[in-house]
Amino acid sequence: MLTRIKTTSKDWLLRAKNNRLFISTLSVSIFVILWEVLPRAGLVDVSYISQPTRVLAAAFEEMFVEGVFWGHLYVSFIELAVGFILSLLVGIPLGLMIGLFRKARYFLDPPLMALWSTPRLALIPIFIIWLGVGVESKIAVVFVGSFIPIIVNTVAGIRDADISVIQAARSFCAKKRDIVIRILLPTSLPSMMTGIRLGLGRAMMGMVVGEMYVSTKGLGYQIMQYGEAYRMDQVIFYVAFVSLSGFAITNSARNLENRLLKWKEG
Amino acid sequence: MAHVSVDSLKVIYKRPQDGSSFVALEGISLTVEKGKFVTIVGPSGCGKSSLLLAIDGLIPPAEGHILVNGKEVTAPGPDRAMVFQEFGLLPWRTVLGNVRFGLEMHRRKEIDLDDHAMKFIRLVGLDGFENYHPNQLSGGMRQRVGIARALAVDPEILLMDEPFGALDAQTRENMGDELLRIWNQEKKTALFVTHSIDEAVFLADMVVVMGRGKIREILNVDLQRPRTLETKDTSNYIEYRRRIRSNLRD
Repeated sequence: MLTRIKTTSKDWLLRAKNNRLFISTLSVSIFVILWEVLPRAGLVDVSYISQPTRVLAAAFEEMFVEGVFWGHLYVSFIELAVGFILSLLVGIPLGLMIGLFRKARYFLDPPLMALWSTPRLALIPIFIIWLGVGVESKIAVVFVGSFIPIIVNTVAGIRDADISVIQAARSFCAKKRDIVIRILLPTSLPSMMTGIRLGLGRAMMGMVVGEMYVSTKGLGYQIMQYGEAYRMDQVIFYVAFVSLSGFAITNSARNLENRLLKWKEG
Repeated sequence: MAHVSVDSLKVIYKRPQDGSSFVALEGISLTVEKGKFVTIVGPSGCGKSSLLLAIDGLIPPAEGHILVNGKEVTAPGPDRAMVFQEFGLLPWRTVLGNVRFGLEMHRRKEIDLDDHAMKFIRLVGLDGFENYHPNQLSGGMRQRVGIARALAVDPEILLMDEPFGALDAQTRENMGDELLRIWNQEKKTALFVTHSIDEAVFLADMVVVMGRGKIREILNVDLQRPRTLETKDTSNYIEYRRRIRSNLRD
């Protein structure tokens, strides 16, 4: 039975919020129920689409009975973390340099633009030739995917700098270093954060696809292995895990962004 | 000795795109005594802001000299502070942080920056708003932050570039009164750029009338202080205003 919340017209905002939560929950529930019921009713072949209960059972088995899940998670995590941290370490300073120095921009623009317009996943075979089928080639894929949006957005952030603020800083005897650290860095922060968030999404994609291409371990590797064996329950578990954790990671990045940039809202 | 003296100043802007240049100021000579309130009035594009920026040391003279206390100006210095038309506030800093900014840049270590900044926040009537960010404030309040920031570094010379340009008429008048009160209390030399003839006469000891990059006239304003609303009804005030207006017209 649905509980009907008593509201006055003033509570329309609250009501809209409740409505949204309710309707969204409803849509998910309907999907899950149909997914469970349709194969049971014999309307769809369960080996094609699996079932929520089967996926949960597969999850339980992978995580706790056989326990193989954790090893693959660890490998994927290392690839993602190392590749992404590298892209921060390279992307932010490079972005700042390009944003600050015209000559650096002229010098670095061509190679970066070339890389920007290359489908990065097409580089996977090259990385495998160079770095082997292990963790290293995946780190490279993650890195290449995520450092370019970080650079591009950092540069854009510096270009956003307000001339009148810089002039004011100079008027108060700010040195060049002060202008870079106290004005340009904070100015570019919002856009830089957007770049980091976009980079994170691409990093995850690079990780999974890289593992699916050639590897010996990792979440993507598992998806590929189970896929080739037509084991739909396990495939869906791993895909769902990747997409949910991706959602969680980008969401927390967005939350962090909003918290750091409180001054932007009026 | 004059506090500020400008001698046959010429300022040229160059456009980097095509190398063309534009003469913003030419043959500007001007002497300002200590503690005086000088207004610079003229139509948009007459070079009045450029004159202020040059005195602040933000743009270099192409010819001529600017002396402050007898010393040549080559860069911004702690003896001058500027209030900008577009405020020039740091949006990620609070009111307190913005007022502190000038002090931080001047590397003032001997005082408690927060205490000192708060003193000037109170002076401009913004106490209670010290933890607000600029975009949570009205235009008039933002400009007060700009004024507090400039006053807090304790400059000898206060340079103001159309500080009330973005304000409505009512706020503008109140801010003018407020500014005179603060100026009177702080005993600064003030240079104030405006395009409002009224404002120019009401605030000034001396009005510099400008047009097309040149000084047209320098007028000493001999009106009693403190100035009030009644000042604006005196025949002297009306005569000054008329004279400036007719000068700007031809």
